[in-house]
Amino acid sequence: MSNNKKGAKELFEEVIDQRLCTYCGACAGGCPYLVSYEGRIVVLDKCTIPEGKCYEYCPRTPTDINAISYQTFGEAYKDDELGAIREVMIARSADDHIRKRAQYGGTVTTLMSLALEEGFIDCGILAKMSDDKIPGSYLARSKEEILQCAGTSYVAYPLLEALNHIPEESTEKLGIVGTPCQVLSLSKMKQDPPQNRVNIGNIKLLIGLFCNWALSFHEFHQFLRENLDLPKVIKFDIPPPPANQFDIYSESGKTSLPLDEIRRYIMPACSYCLDMTAEFADISVGSAEGIEGWNTVIIRTKAGEDLMRLAKAKGALETEILPDENLAHLKEAALNKKKAALKNLVERTGNRNDFLYIYGLSEGITDKFLENK
Amino acid sequence: MSNISMNKPGTTVLLLGNEAVARGAIEAGIGIAAAYPGSPSSEVLPSIAEVAKEMNIHTEWSVNEKVATEVAAGASFAGIRAFSVMKQNGANVASDFIINLNMSGIGEAGVVIYIADDPGGMTSSNEEDSRTITKWFDNPLLEPSSAQEAKDMIKWAFEVSEAINLLTFVRGVKRLSYTRSNVVLGEINENKGKKAYFPEVWDLHNPKKSQFTTGPTPTYHKPLHEKIEKARELFETSSFNSYIGQENPELLIITCGACTSYCTEAIEELKAGDRVGVLKLGTTWPLPEKLVAKHLGTTKQVLFVEELDPFVERSVMELAASLLPDTCDLTFYGARSGHLTPYNELSTNLVINALTGILSVTHQPRDLAYEKKVQEAINIVPNRPINMCAGCPHRATFWAIKNALQLDGRKGFVCGDIGCYSLGFGPPGFFQSRTMHAMGSGIGVANGLGNLKHVGFDQPVLALCGDSTFFHAAMPALVNGVYNNSNFILLVLDNSATAMTGFQPHPGTGQLATGDPATVVDIEAICRAMGAPVEVCDPFDMDNTTETLLHMMKQEKGARVIIMRHLCQLVKDKRKIPKEYEMHVDQERCLGDACGCDRLCTRLFGCPGLMWDKEAGKAAIDEALCVGCGLCADICPANAIIREEAIG
Repeated sequence: MSNNKKGAKELFEEVIDQRLCTYCGACAGGCPYLVSYEGRIVVLDKCTIPEGKCYEYCPRTPTDINAISYQTFGEAYKDDELGAIREVMIARSADDHIRKRAQYGGTVTTLMSLALEEGFIDCGILAKMSDDKIPGSYLARSKEEILQCAGTSYVAYPLLEALNHIPEESTEKLGIVGTPCQVLSLSKMKQDPPQNRVNIGNIKLLIGLFCNWALSFHEFHQFLRENLDLPKVIKFDIPPPPANQFDIYSESGKTSLPLDEIRRYIMPACSYCLDMTAEFADISVGSAEGIEGWNTVIIRTKAGEDLMRLAKAKGALETEILPDENLAHLKEAALNKKKAALKNLVERTGNRNDFLYIYGLSEGITDKFLENK
Repeated sequence: MSNISMNKPGTTVLLLGNEAVARGAIEAGIGIAAAYPGSPSSEVLPSIAEVAKEMNIHTEWSVNEKVATEVAAGASFAGIRAFSVMKQNGANVASDFIINLNMSGIGEAGVVIYIADDPGGMTSSNEEDSRTITKWFDNPLLEPSSAQEAKDMIKWAFEVSEAINLLTFVRGVKRLSYTRSNVVLGEINENKGKKAYFPEVWDLHNPKKSQFTTGPTPTYHKPLHEKIEKARELFETSSFNSYIGQENPELLIITCGACTSYCTEAIEELKAGDRVGVLKLGTTWPLPEKLVAKHLGTTKQVLFVEELDPFVERSVMELAASLLPDTCDLTFYGARSGHLTPYNELSTNLVINALTGILSVTHQPRDLAYEKKVQEAINIVPNRPINMCAGCPHRATFWAIKNALQLDGRKGFVCGDIGCYSLGFGPPGFFQSRTMHAMGSGIGVANGLGNLKHVGFDQPVLALCGDSTFFHAAMPALVNGVYNNSNFILLVLDNSATAMTGFQPHPGTGQLATGDPATVVDIEAICRAMGAPVEVCDPFDMDNTTETLLHMMKQEKGARVIIMRHLCQLVKDKRKIPKEYEMHVDQERCLGDACGCDRLCTRLFGCPGLMWDKEAGKAAIDEALCVGCGLCADICPANAIIREEAIG
């Protein structure tokens, strides 16, 4: 593993200027120099510290996947398409009110509400859309506030900047809902916890969201502004293939745009991401393709298992077995993402053994994920 | 009674050069004085204002030097002696009027401008030699060498002005303005009881010049040159020109103004009195040619000692050329020969250096061991870069500008201006100002930059000016921007003071030069009336200021204005406004140079009230300098800088 003790200067040289930034927010808000603003990481002033947490925690700077796997699951990183799994199922909220507001089955909203109610956590860090449908990070401390965060914008947002703003002395127990890159960054934070700001030990729950890619705020939002009355939009959705469309639900009904028209706004950084299912979360949640109104749920850690068990016991969630056919389909999709990412990384580095920022993959794994050896 | 107005001729008083100038104008019996502040001239008008009521003189801070000169001319047209004061830049502002005034001539009463140059540019944006301008204006010019002469010359300048019916200049320099010395007072020419009256056109009993216009140009231009020749005649016998030295000196120094002392001291130091003679000219334009020609005939070598342009040098060489072949074996030394420089201040040492070369003598100013010690001592003097004061609102403004421009991300920039906020080009303003020229030029330049969209320009343009500058020179440029739909934002840094030059009141402050109350001219209302959208921010509310800047930059339409309003800290001190907060740094919380801070407050924010405790590796408050404004608490990333309400 190469020297990853670098600072803001290298973060820009190696990540941001290279269009590898995922806009996760890990580098922002932890110091007075880097902040997020309208889809960009902005340097307010020059920092002279040669070794910065901004560089260290970035999900696109050198990352030892194997070490993170050991830290999270006590075992080496394997070639499983979906990462470490305790249990897979489909689930949906038992609460109609939540289901109505939620993207699919309302599982994330329900789990976060329950965690808050049961005292697992005191505060949730989630993405919330503004009236103009701009996603931003939000600290939710009540069920109602969590419900306000339901639904996805498909746009990248700097969630972790809000985490960085939490002062060191805070003892609030935190639950975070994040995308795979955000979860990866949090794993890096756990490896070498930050000083002088949020106590990483306060994070008690990490719910990962399935993610194929995210859209870049700046261009996409301009496109939306020009084409829609954003405050009237209720929900965005990408229905499962073969639909190949981007649906916008508003007070006046549904509008569908060809997905290919949307694809040009995908963050370039997403094509180098191996992780579709947020493999280092406690629980990962996504849509259940073909099973309308339900979520696919992957339980990965004991904390995740405990919460899920409680949710079932309390009747907050209804669960069913994920049909084999759906599981196979999910695995295929996850594998395809890994293959594409590794191919793109190798193309970028020009070296079959150099995956730019990913370290610690065994040869067996890279063989499986890298086609055409 | 003030020394300035004391009517006891023959009394010796200690006066600042600028006070002596004021006394000269008072002795001349002026009825009106108008100025725009600018170092090194700023103290003249307040010295007159102090006694304005008792001496029955209308004293005003005009909005700019052109208006000040016009004010003076108006009084002269009505038969009242009038005085105007400015720094070198002011002559440029006033130039258009002066050139035309020279065509019409002045009124019955004299008009004098005291203009103070700043060799070395210590308090100026340039090092202009205003004497050159008087030559192309065609105005007589006097140069005092001491405070006494300054007083006497101002008085005499009125007589010259009236004798030839032309505005007359007296030029000082910084060293004269700011040196205190003994001055023997003269008589005050009582002007009381004289009624101001603009002459009638057809007053057959008392025919007087009753029109002051710039009529058919050639008809008016010829007399102007005749006036200059008349002035030359007056100057030939002026007692302000003097010679000290042998009848036939080996070297003749021709000098003027403050340099006279440098020459005297240098000759004394070199004990060269028997070899070098000094012709001191008090009347430098037009050159008293007969007098100078006489002295050129006494020597073979001439050294010119004058500050900035080789002004006298060129006039004398021009004269020498006209006197050929009588002058053919003369050798000239000065700026042209490289013995002295046409820039920066001169000094006794520099004159000594020039003389040792010409006279082939050596000079050891001090003992070598002592010299070495001095050099060592210089090395241990801490470097103190110029900075904005503790509590200065401009620091807050520039911080908000910096953050807003970075967040905006379109590579916007600031067209700066001159004033305290000139420091915006360096570390105190976080290098934000990218252009800086004359007063109000930032806005003018922004007008051009803001109309380049058709050639692909897409960077946001901000322009700055102070509140005093707004009235002085920014208003026409703002009108231009509104009218021509230029895309820029003017930031009026309204600290309610002409702080850089010494807190003179201006139209926005509600106070006259005399201290009496005045109508407040409302900058915000003016901008709105011009048709510009206006926002008002307190720069100490940095988040809101940044937001407002971002919001305005997104509008991308026309000339817009943000007034950054916060009282100058030094004005607060003068008004004895108690400090708001007691500040301290929580040493436990301070991150120092660790990740998450990297000494933001002392390394970048740079308020003089903050210190870096090297040993502790923490920030601290400098109790002696902190004014308790509380701003640093807002930028500390660790909330380690604590502000507590000051008690009492």
